[in-house]
Amino acid sequence: MENVIAQGAESIILKTERWNHLFVLKWRQSKPYLFKDIDSHLRKTRTSRECKMLSVARSLGVSTPAVYAVNLDDYTILMDYIEGMQFKQLASSLSEQQLKQFCFEFGRSIGLLHMGDVVHGDPTTSNVIIDSKSKLWLVDFGLSEMNATVEMKGVDLHLIHRALETTHWDLQECMLKATIKGYSDTVGKEANESLSRMEEIRERGRYH
Amino acid sequence: MVLYCLGLEGTAHSFGAGIVTDEGKVLSNEWDMLKPAEGGIHPREASRHHSDLGPRIIHTALEKAGINYSDIDLIAFSRGPGLGPCLRTTATMARTLALKLDIPLVDVNHCVAHIEIGCLESEFKDPVTVYVSGGNTQVIAFAGGRFRTFGETLDIAIGNMLDVLGRKLGMSFPAGHNIEKLAKEGSNYHNLPYSVKGMDLSYSGMLTAAKKLLSEGVPIPDICFSVQETAFSMLAEIAERAIAHTKKEQLLLTGGVARNNRLTEILEGVSERHGAKFHRVSPSLAGDQGAMIAWNGILQFKAGRTIEISDSQVLPKWRTDEQDILWRS
Repeated sequence: MENVIAQGAESIILKTERWNHLFVLKWRQSKPYLFKDIDSHLRKTRTSRECKMLSVARSLGVSTPAVYAVNLDDYTILMDYIEGMQFKQLASSLSEQQLKQFCFEFGRSIGLLHMGDVVHGDPTTSNVIIDSKSKLWLVDFGLSEMNATVEMKGVDLHLIHRALETTHWDLQECMLKATIKGYSDTVGKEANESLSRMEEIRERGRYH
Repeated sequence: MVLYCLGLEGTAHSFGAGIVTDEGKVLSNEWDMLKPAEGGIHPREASRHHSDLGPRIIHTALEKAGINYSDIDLIAFSRGPGLGPCLRTTATMARTLALKLDIPLVDVNHCVAHIEIGCLESEFKDPVTVYVSGGNTQVIAFAGGRFRTFGETLDIAIGNMLDVLGRKLGMSFPAGHNIEKLAKEGSNYHNLPYSVKGMDLSYSGMLTAAKKLLSEGVPIPDICFSVQETAFSMLAEIAERAIAHTKKEQLLLTGGVARNNRLTEILEGVSERHGAKFHRVSPSLAGDQGAMIAWNGILQFKAGRTIEISDSQVLPKWRTDEQDILWRS
């Protein structure tokens, strides 16, 4: 039994039951409109990278779904199904205090990654899941990278800023502040360098 | 009674004047683009181009629309974002006409105007817009009363990358058309940096790598082919991320680079995959021109927003999301 939970930008997310257990099957389908070499290269590298980075992130103390199987022939990953909701969908229905708390946790998770020189690569509130016990999970590590430089960390933070202003425009100030607090409290002094790089990157965009 | 709006565009290398009615009819759309003999655009030269040719272009626009100066009901001008000297020259013409004809002045955001003229042509109500030109690479969508930039380039614009590469390959400016033509003759794909970061992307690494391919003796058609395929795949990905994220059902392609057929083909594929409608803005309305400014002027005027001359200083860094879009809800 399989059903589609989401059609993402680069994959289809299916919910599937095996061994009496619920799993997510993430399938990076072929995109016939792309040049075939680019298409297969992306599907392959993103799939293997995601598998690896989900474990790397967990070893740094960030909650991520565990991977059970990977198939590089059809570009699928079988991983834990997290019963919960995307932070994106939840944000507007939370109390200010709860919202700040989750943002703080989100910032803390990104901070833990950065301390291990890992960037998430797509840190939007769509890729944060909050489960029924209010625990926060990071997912979608297809763009994640190791050996991150200050520039890469700055971009990661810039993407958070961007995601908050486009998706949570009415809450962005409060959310950004709490996220950055969670980040700074976790990373400590070194956070300043990445945070000022974030500002610099924002200014660098032609009109932004 | 029909309203006539004269729109003046002059944010960068092109100066344009267009007449559009409040029914959305484009009566005329005249422009001229500065083509430097060599190198890029110098802001001062571009602004001189605008002041030298502007009055004649405005005059021709009126002639072609078959109306007189006294028929114009309002003036709209591109207030930003763009190159300061160009914006100031254009704004000066708009203010002068508004004073002389004693009619209202409306300030228009260049990026928003690109989207709205695309919506007029396609009859799209609420698209994700891919806006690609010499100066811009943005994915924009409407949310919470404003147009918001979901993704953009972190360094150079795609058109800029193609033009600079074209110059290296010995092509004249703008190079997009020649690159597209040669790419059709290329077949060997060479790896180039594919740099997508969330919904943002970066083209400077690709430019450097493509120049390196040239120095290694890779045939020019293969370079063009590899650059197009990689650059457009990256754009497709961020467009796709924006569609998946916003769940919008229309995809609009606009800006000068929208003329590229391969890019269009790829984005059509993206739309199909997500069950979205696709529209590429026709060439005469895709580049920088006055009709889009005029149409946006109409929308804004009808929503009750005009600007006093004393408040109309140009905004070279005017962000897309800094303006409340009064005519949409």
